Amino acid sequence: MSSAQIFPTSIAGFTPIQIKYSSDSTHILYVRAHTGSKKGKNKDIVFPEGRTLFLVNVPPDATEREITVLFKQSGTVEKVVFDGDEEEVHEIGEDSDEEMEDEEELGEEQDDDEEQPRKKRKMSKDSKPAIPHVIPLPTRNTRTLRRTGRAAHVIFLDASSLSRALSPPSKPKGWPLDTSTAVGLSHYNALYEALRPPLDLVKAHADSWMDLFEYEQAKKKRQSKYKKGEAIVDDDGFTLVTRGGAYGQTLGGGVTVASKKFQESRKTSQRYRKDKKEPKEKETFYAFQVHEKKRKELIDLKRKWEEDKAKVEKLKESRKFRPY
Amino acid sequence: MATERKRKRNNETGTNGLKRRHVTSDKNKQHISDDVSEVTQIAADVFPPLVGGEDEDEGSDSGSEEEEWTGLDGAADGDVKGSEHTGSKPKKPPTGEELRNIKDATELYRSSSFKLQIDALLPNVHPKYERFAPLDRFLHSLYSFLHSIPSVEPEHPLIASRRLLKKGIAVPYSAPQPTEDTNWKVSFTKPNEVTVVGSWPTKLSVKAKDKNPYRVDVAVEMPAALFQEKDYLNGRFFHKRAYYLAVVASAIARKGGELNVDVLFDSVAGDSRLTTLVLRPKQGLKNDWSKLNVEVRIMPTLPSDCPIPLQRLSPSRSNIRTLTSEEAQEEFSTPLYNTALLLGLTPRAHLLRVYALKEAVPAFADALTLLRVWANQRGYSEGGKFCVRGFEGKGMWWAAVLDLLIHGEETSGLAKLSPKRKPLGKGLSSYQLFRAALDLFARHDFTQERVYLKSEGGHRFLPQEYNTHEAVFVDSTSSVNLLAGVPMSSLDMLKHDAKLTLETLNDGTSAAGSKDPFREVFLKDLRDLQSRFDVVMRVDLSSAKPSQPSPHATLDHGSPFNALIADLASKLRSGLSDRIKALAVLLPTSGPRSLSQAHPSNSPIIYIGLVLNTDHAFRLVDHGPPADDPNPANVQQFRDFWGDKAELRRFKDGSIVESVVWDVKNVDERAHIPFNISRYLLSRHSGIPSEDVRGWQASYDSTLRLPESIASFYQAARSATGFKTAMTAFEGLIKSIKALDDELPLAVLNISPSSESLRYTNTFVPVALPPSLSSILPACARYAPVMDVIIEFEKSGRWPDDLKAIQKIKLAFFETLATALMKSVKGLRATVVVGDGVSTSEMQDVASLEIITPDGWAFSARIWHDREAILLDKIIDDKPHIPKHLKRKLQQTSDSSGAEAKERQEAMETKALYIRRFIHAPRHHRAIAALSHRFSAFAGTVRLVKRWLASHWLLHGYISEEVVELICASIFLGSDASSKDRESVPGTKERGLAVVVEFLKDWEWENGLFVPLYGSSESEITDVTKQPSLTGGKSGAWAVSTELDPTGHMWTSNGPDAIVARRVRTIAKASWSCLQEVEDGNFDVKTLFVHPTEHYDIIMRLDPSALPRYYQNITADPSVWKGKYANAVLNGESKDALKPGFDPAQLLFNDLKRVYKDTLKIFHDPFGGNLFGAVWDPTLKESRPFRVLGGFSSTPVRKDNEKGKDKSLVVLNTDAVLSEIERLGAGLVTSITVQV
Repeated sequence: MSSAQIFPTSIAGFTPIQIKYSSDSTHILYVRAHTGSKKGKNKDIVFPEGRTLFLVNVPPDATEREITVLFKQSGTVEKVVFDGDEEEVHEIGEDSDEEMEDEEELGEEQDDDEEQPRKKRKMSKDSKPAIPHVIPLPTRNTRTLRRTGRAAHVIFLDASSLSRALSPPSKPKGWPLDTSTAVGLSHYNALYEALRPPLDLVKAHADSWMDLFEYEQAKKKRQSKYKKGEAIVDDDGFTLVTRGGAYGQTLGGGVTVASKKFQESRKTSQRYRKDKKEPKEKETFYAFQVHEKKRKELIDLKRKWEEDKAKVEKLKESRKFRPY
Repeated sequence: MATERKRKRNNETGTNGLKRRHVTSDKNKQHISDDVSEVTQIAADVFPPLVGGEDEDEGSDSGSEEEEWTGLDGAADGDVKGSEHTGSKPKKPPTGEELRNIKDATELYRSSSFKLQIDALLPNVHPKYERFAPLDRFLHSLYSFLHSIPSVEPEHPLIASRRLLKKGIAVPYSAPQPTEDTNWKVSFTKPNEVTVVGSWPTKLSVKAKDKNPYRVDVAVEMPAALFQEKDYLNGRFFHKRAYYLAVVASAIARKGGELNVDVLFDSVAGDSRLTTLVLRPKQGLKNDWSKLNVEVRIMPTLPSDCPIPLQRLSPSRSNIRTLTSEEAQEEFSTPLYNTALLLGLTPRAHLLRVYALKEAVPAFADALTLLRVWANQRGYSEGGKFCVRGFEGKGMWWAAVLDLLIHGEETSGLAKLSPKRKPLGKGLSSYQLFRAALDLFARHDFTQERVYLKSEGGHRFLPQEYNTHEAVFVDSTSSVNLLAGVPMSSLDMLKHDAKLTLETLNDGTSAAGSKDPFREVFLKDLRDLQSRFDVVMRVDLSSAKPSQPSPHATLDHGSPFNALIADLASKLRSGLSDRIKALAVLLPTSGPRSLSQAHPSNSPIIYIGLVLNTDHAFRLVDHGPPADDPNPANVQQFRDFWGDKAELRRFKDGSIVESVVWDVKNVDERAHIPFNISRYLLSRHSGIPSEDVRGWQASYDSTLRLPESIASFYQAARSATGFKTAMTAFEGLIKSIKALDDELPLAVLNISPSSESLRYTNTFVPVALPPSLSSILPACARYAPVMDVIIEFEKSGRWPDDLKAIQKIKLAFFETLATALMKSVKGLRATVVVGDGVSTSEMQDVASLEIITPDGWAFSARIWHDREAILLDKIIDDKPHIPKHLKRKLQQTSDSSGAEAKERQEAMETKALYIRRFIHAPRHHRAIAALSHRFSAFAGTVRLVKRWLASHWLLHGYISEEVVELICASIFLGSDASSKDRESVPGTKERGLAVVVEFLKDWEWENGLFVPLYGSSESEITDVTKQPSLTGGKSGAWAVSTELDPTGHMWTSNGPDAIVARRVRTIAKASWSCLQEVEDGNFDVKTLFVHPTEHYDIIMRLDPSALPRYYQNITADPSVWKGKYANAVLNGESKDALKPGFDPAQLLFNDLKRVYKDTLKIFHDPFGGNLFGAVWDPTLKESRPFRVLGGFSSTPVRKDNEKGKDKSLVVLNTDAVLSEIERLGAGLVTSITVQV
């Protein structure tokens, strides 16, 4: 990295920030103030304009804490959102552990729409059920490795931090490696352990999740206006499909049933049959037809012959016929 | 037109003046008389001129006949009815003649393209006769020169030879050599006749292998006056012949300036009785034919009026009387000696016969050419490489085979001979004749049935007299057995090769992806040892000492070496009996030697190749005659044959028989039995020390075995190992899970295995790691393999109708199962694994149950719920009733929100995984397990191939284990799903590997590959979709389809991509040439598995002691665990609990591959490789404009001055990436080397 060359201060509207990895390698972060993105309208709620920094080329193993530390000089970071293609917006959590979080997130997400979660309770049909709470799987402090060259949004607490962050620093910063989250071999060891939680926690998680799921199902059922009757479920758990629900659906909603009239008329099937039965021209009625057919066969024969010949000719050109 | 062609042909025949003169001077003139023109006319009609020859007619459109011809080529010229054809080429219906040509091509040949290919091949294997005018001039001068050699007065043979020795010429007297007290004399007078014989004058010469020159045989007829009646005795004829040859040699050598040639001796098959003179052109001004790649061979022949009585040369007569009393001698006949003598009479007769055949049968010449090309490609001829013993100088035999097919056999008076084959007649096409010949080779039992060609005079010698010959194929003069001296084993090999070829020809023409049969049959060199033979042995004969030397056999065979080879071949053949299909003794062709060397020198190195009959090859016991055999000679013979290996044993059925038992210690050694038998027999009968017999099987075995020092840990712990044991453990697991039925909410319907370890195809033999063992193992050998199993519960409506909920329910099931299992089975450990650490999808099946049995077997169970597929389908296509084209429109108009598209994408990935994991994997497992049982070498082949691919850093990361299994299966199954086992099935894993390497070397993966894995019954279901789809935009370049996977991307969708596929081809090519080194004798199996690292941009070194799989590394260094072991005990760290399936190198590899997907291509050896190699994406090396989601770590291009145009160019930040990798691999990666 020769000092004779001048490091650009701006690249396509981004400010490059040099981050020293080691004495001889420097990583470049590109930053820009966040402007309302075109595609996601709801994202604007998440990224308040004016105090959100848009970050490009985030190191693949960066954690929220590391980025927070990196921008400490500029101001206090409220949260960091990594947005790769595969990552969801729901990463606005306190820890950056997605693997473990996923299961948990689902619950939280749904909770967000509802009132405050309350203590889990047994559901019963007549009493108004409480919203069950999902017991999350234990989380471990492991890193998430993202694809390289991805972007992130850093939301500062204070709008003034943004401008400070955007001014290029005088000298390259060092990468604040967070030693509390493991990297390398110990990361894999930790991950291995994290993926094998104690059995009782697995059970608690699965049960509570299912409780919530059933609660949601029941609620959905209640909310759905277009429904008539109650589904008939037999002892084996099979749902009987019968006509009589709303909008041509089965009782209790769900599957659509064909109307009686439709079934009786067999309109569709008849139409297809008719198509098939359409009398075709007799193929060998006239002498010329027989003639043409034979002629066509001969032409096909010849064409195939010529194709073969062309093929062989081509092979010949590539000297494939010299056995040795 | 036909007349014009005829004239041309006549001119051609006329150019070879010498030949014409001698042939026409013969009494058999009628063969080439007036009807010659008729024959050529027929030939011209039946065979249209070669493809190229039709060009002359192109463009002419006047005259009805010519117009017909244009039809073939004139497709390009304008057309009248083009409008009714959609094709670009306008068409006219073919005319009558054209039609006849096409029909002939399709009906008389395998297919029309096969015929065209044959037509294209033929000109390339014939000499271009029109260029050989200088040779003709040379032959003329040779003719006059030979007639001008002055006579030499009769002299004692030894005195005469001494005189010639002074001139530097050693007379090649054959054994028994003349002695001082011989009372006959040798002399020279000018030859009666000089004739060009052999294949040259009949224009049947076929290019020889390895750029060997064409041969022009010149028969020099010695005057009858030189011979006496008794010359048949004791090699006197051969001595006179040798002297005659030596005089000619000295004359040519002395006056070489005139002829300008090098003169050499050459003995056919190392037999000095059949020595010929080889004349090779020197460069010079006069008569320079040195550029023609041709040599002239002078062979002295006997005149028809020679005084030697032919009756004395009958095959059963004895004509060497040097030993003991004459009565004793009479018992030993000298068939080969007699044949060698008779060969002096036949050249002219054979020439005439072949000429007659050629003229009478239009397809004869082409058929013979095809047959000889076929034979050359398989080493049944002279050549630079090792050739099958016995087929040197057997040119006439191939013609005689066709003669047999065309004209049939001489009937013999004996009723017990088999019913006569019907002659096939003259009207066959060249391909049909060729095929008939192969059919003959494949079916004819040369040991039992003798062949006497139809001859004019009937049998010359009584058929019984040929009892002394092994195989009998008497020529059309009824004097010579053309197969004399050909070992039976070589004929077995011929039979095997013919069967192979017929199999190729019978393979469906349509099956896509199958090999091109034409290429297989004619264009491919099939002399490679390792892919041809199951067992290859390199035998050094230099210290061979036959245990029962037979001076008589030596004399009959012409030299001790030849006698040794013949004896060795027949002993091996009878010793290996039904264990082998064929056995080939391979020797280099004897080359010409200088005139000062009287006798041919033999290379002491021979190769022996075995083609095993896998039904019997690995039998442990050979049974001999019973102890109470009525004929005690049988018992004695058996004992003599096997020596101290033979012993009397009582068997279960109560019989007491002589038997030979071969001890084996393990499965690997069982595969060595045929090799061990051969080695034993070679040492017992030919006195070859066992260290001089070299095989490579054991070295291949060792690549699949763990290092000794690690294996000893397992042995010490008495740990359970082996595929069978693993399967028993699996059965046990099923039992204990099924026993829990009451405790589970749903009954377990099925538990199916889907692991390499449970279908015999894991590279390493599965091992159990009980806790007692895992704690003492060094850290770099503590990898515990996990076996995948799939649990299917009974169907129930209680499953939630939601993908995410299904995954959660699975967790609950696992928990219940784990608790119940741990309660019921003591010592069993079960853990729920909630994810793989990478996937974040909630609908994907990520959870599994890890079970470690008390014995230490680790299993990973997953639950298959079939409702998932339907739910996924709903997400992927939620409106199945809307036709596709409407849907596309809908998608265009409505802006499908990102979330929905993303969900669909996710569902598609999940579906692919679901289908692979739950539908295809178990089915694949069953089919592969069945193949492992059906073909003894299959599992071993797969294991070796996996090891080979892994050591070249391709397996797992880019090539899935399953596709390796499929490719290996295709080698064993061929392309047609026939239940019959094929002739080409490899009998050992070594050959399997060689065949797979050869396949990968030549495979044009663009065309896909079809593997009939599931047998014919299931194939009918999807017969329509049999064609593998051509590779489209998918990331997988290989398309390996089966009946149940018509697109062929089930196991290849994650690679190899085109880059890796090309890499595979390159590596296969390199390995293939490495396999060829076996012929130099310095082949080392290890080199096949050594991966060159110089092509990688970056090499990352991993700390071997941190890799739990390091002990599996092919070049594992024992000091790593030996040094570490002492420390490890002290470190509390190594006391960690067993982590089944934990392989940080693989995890790091996966992460790097994912993180730097668009930056790097990274490779490693999944079996404990301690190196990662990576190459940069070459397109990133150039600077490019900055993009927000560039997908790689970039750095701005430094500008040289501030005023540089601001294009915002960025370039890959290699240093930062390397630093990141170092960080990601902390604790694993020790160093990163950048190679430029």
